[in-house]
Amino acid sequence: MQRRKFLSLSGLAAVAAMAPASVNAEDFRKSKPTVWTAHTVDDAITAMYGTTAATESGVTLTMPDVASNGGAVPVNVKSDIDAKSVAIFQNANPEAAIAAFTVHENSIINYDLKIKLKSDGTPITVTAIVEGKDGKLYVGKKTLTVALGGCEG
Amino acid sequence: MKVKAKLKGDIVKVKALAKHAMTTYDQAKKKTGNSDDANFITRVTATVNGKVVYEVSTSQFLSKNPIMKFQFKAVGVSKGDKVVMTWVDRKGNTKSGKGKIK
Repeated sequence: MQRRKFLSLSGLAAVAAMAPASVNAEDFRKSKPTVWTAHTVDDAITAMYGTTAATESGVTLTMPDVASNGGAVPVNVKSDIDAKSVAIFQNANPEAAIAAFTVHENSIINYDLKIKLKSDGTPITVTAIVEGKDGKLYVGKKTLTVALGGCEG
Repeated sequence: MKVKAKLKGDIVKVKALAKHAMTTYDQAKKKTGNSDDANFITRVTATVNGKVVYEVSTSQFLSKNPIMKFQFKAVGVSKGDKVVMTWVDRKGNTKSGKGKIK
């Protein structure tokens, strides 16, 4: 009888230890692997959020109009929306997704990143999606060109 | 990882630099013929006093040695606290850095 009691107790303890400690964070590369292999912006957004229907307001995407060096193009995303997540996509590189941020309790949506953009002379559109806590998507877009060879002119 | 953090008013501004080659699949294919050699940072997190304040999953299209800037509300955070940032890359390597909030 005692042995049985011990076994059931240890079983309980094992279950308790396996329960994840407050999963607030999300690794989008693991939870949504298809986002990172999608080739078009629409495909990537659908893979991430299940829809591409988004309101074009409330999201400010700041980038230079002409980037001299495609190897490091500065990007800034700003928004006052009470959001769950923010994602950035572009249509120049082989795959569309660049980054997906998880917005935490004290986070402010004002993210700066440097990204790579493939330059073939045609205008590139960068898209930032903000997923609001109300479940709606908000989008900000910016079109720019990347000068070839890393020199302007 | 280099981390600089500054408290201004009730906002903490953080600037971080990760040293990483960030090779894309195309670059790896050109160099070694095997696109699976690509290696890039896939995830960056920042915590202050054990609380996550910044979290991003990234693709191969961040620049080489990417610089990241972000802000957060200084709730329960004061000068002298440390911002701890960690990145993980595609091959599973990980590196972290700390910066005191000034």
